[in-house]
Amino acid sequence: MNKLAIVSLCMSFLVLANSGCTVQPVKAWERGDLARSEMAFEPDATEAGYRDHVYFSKEASSGGATVGGGGCGCN
Amino acid sequence: MARRHANALLALTSSALALPGISSKSHAASPAAESQVDYRYSSYSEDDLSRSKTSNPDTRRYEIDTHQFRLVRPWGDEYDVTVDLLYETMSGASPWFITPGANNQPIQVMSGATIDETRIDMLASLRRYYGNETYGVSLGVSDEDDYQSINLGVEAQWDIDEQQRSYSLGIGYSDDDLEPTDGASAAFPDRISDASKDSLTAYAGVTQIINAQTTVQSSISFTRHDGFLSDPYKLAFVNGTTTNDSRPDGREQFAWFTRFRHFFTNLRAALHLDYRYFEDDWDITSHTAEAAWYQNLGDGWQVVPSIRFYSQSQAFFYAPFYGQARTDGFASSDYRLSPYGALSMRFKVSKAWAGWKLSMSWEEYDSDAGHAIGDVDVENPGLVDFSVISFGISKRF
Repeated sequence: MNKLAIVSLCMSFLVLANSGCTVQPVKAWERGDLARSEMAFEPDATEAGYRDHVYFSKEASSGGATVGGGGCGCN
Repeated sequence: MARRHANALLALTSSALALPGISSKSHAASPAAESQVDYRYSSYSEDDLSRSKTSNPDTRRYEIDTHQFRLVRPWGDEYDVTVDLLYETMSGASPWFITPGANNQPIQVMSGATIDETRIDMLASLRRYYGNETYGVSLGVSDEDDYQSINLGVEAQWDIDEQQRSYSLGIGYSDDDLEPTDGASAAFPDRISDASKDSLTAYAGVTQIINAQTTVQSSISFTRHDGFLSDPYKLAFVNGTTTNDSRPDGREQFAWFTRFRHFFTNLRAALHLDYRYFEDDWDITSHTAEAAWYQNLGDGWQVVPSIRFYSQSQAFFYAPFYGQARTDGFASSDYRLSPYGALSMRFKVSKAWAGWKLSMSWEEYDSDAGHAIGDVDVENPGLVDFSVISFGISKRF
């Protein structure tokens, strides 16, 4: 893996996240874009659940803004 | 012979991501406006092991077929109910232990194609939306021949500042029981016959609408595992002989997870950026970064290319094999505890019309010591590469 690509990805995230720190008032009728399905943090719940399960089973890490769900004896 | 690993709880993260409310939306929480039914089929297939990395003549690994069903239904003005069902069949072989080869090159010994297992997972959740407050409870069970889990979660969310910011809290508990196949049998007298573990997790998060096209969510979570955390089916090669996989009976984990969403109005596209930092008291530290681009093409078509990068350091007691036993008695050669990195590419296409949505996705996952952020002295030969193909259909009504 190109380390430069990793660093670039992380830096892009930080710059973009930081650039949005100036919070602007957004009225309810201005939230049409935010309400779009592709703007959800998890647009496809079954897909997100499946992918998280796979990564949990094959990697040493887990954790996020969620609780609930079942454990497994995953190979 | 079914062979299962003792990986503890997935629970407190995975299925809950499937919950509709609190933390999955980018705007203020509200009950589901209409019912929705989803079905998804996924085919998971691990690449064959390189012949130079194993002593087994059969280099095939693991395959899983998964069926998921999901129902979300509003209940009155203040509630919604979600039910998730999962059924999957698993077959193939998995890493067993590692021996030193020529020049101490690690050689993976596989289990042989002995795994033949099914898993059923059910999760039900109820949420109440009350003004600017949302409360949720969930109850789930997961059942395999040699592994049972029951879990419970509660969550709450408070919207403030005209629902431009929300705070959320959650606590989850999972109680897991293992009864390894052939445990304490004549064939495997050293394998445990049964064991248990439990896991407690808590998180706190904040979601902020930055402007009419941008939102950010950040959360921290703590998880504590207690009980049997070793893998009852794996062995470690110590001082010329094999011994049971042995790990500490406690593990504390911390994760910081941040997600960024921005909608490009002129392009009719959404950018997703996710980052997670993870560490635990087994000395594992990891970084996960993911970027996805949701491009609308018109007439209900959408394409989503994405890339995910992952890198982790090793557990303090991990080694491919051991010249001498550790003084603390721990020993594990599980590739999951080894230092490595992984790169995953994914592509999804979907078509929506009249309440229906069809989707198809493909993912290719490649793990390698060379993908790790830090230098890796010895790559674990059992690192996994896999591909996933999924088909989904959903209907709103």
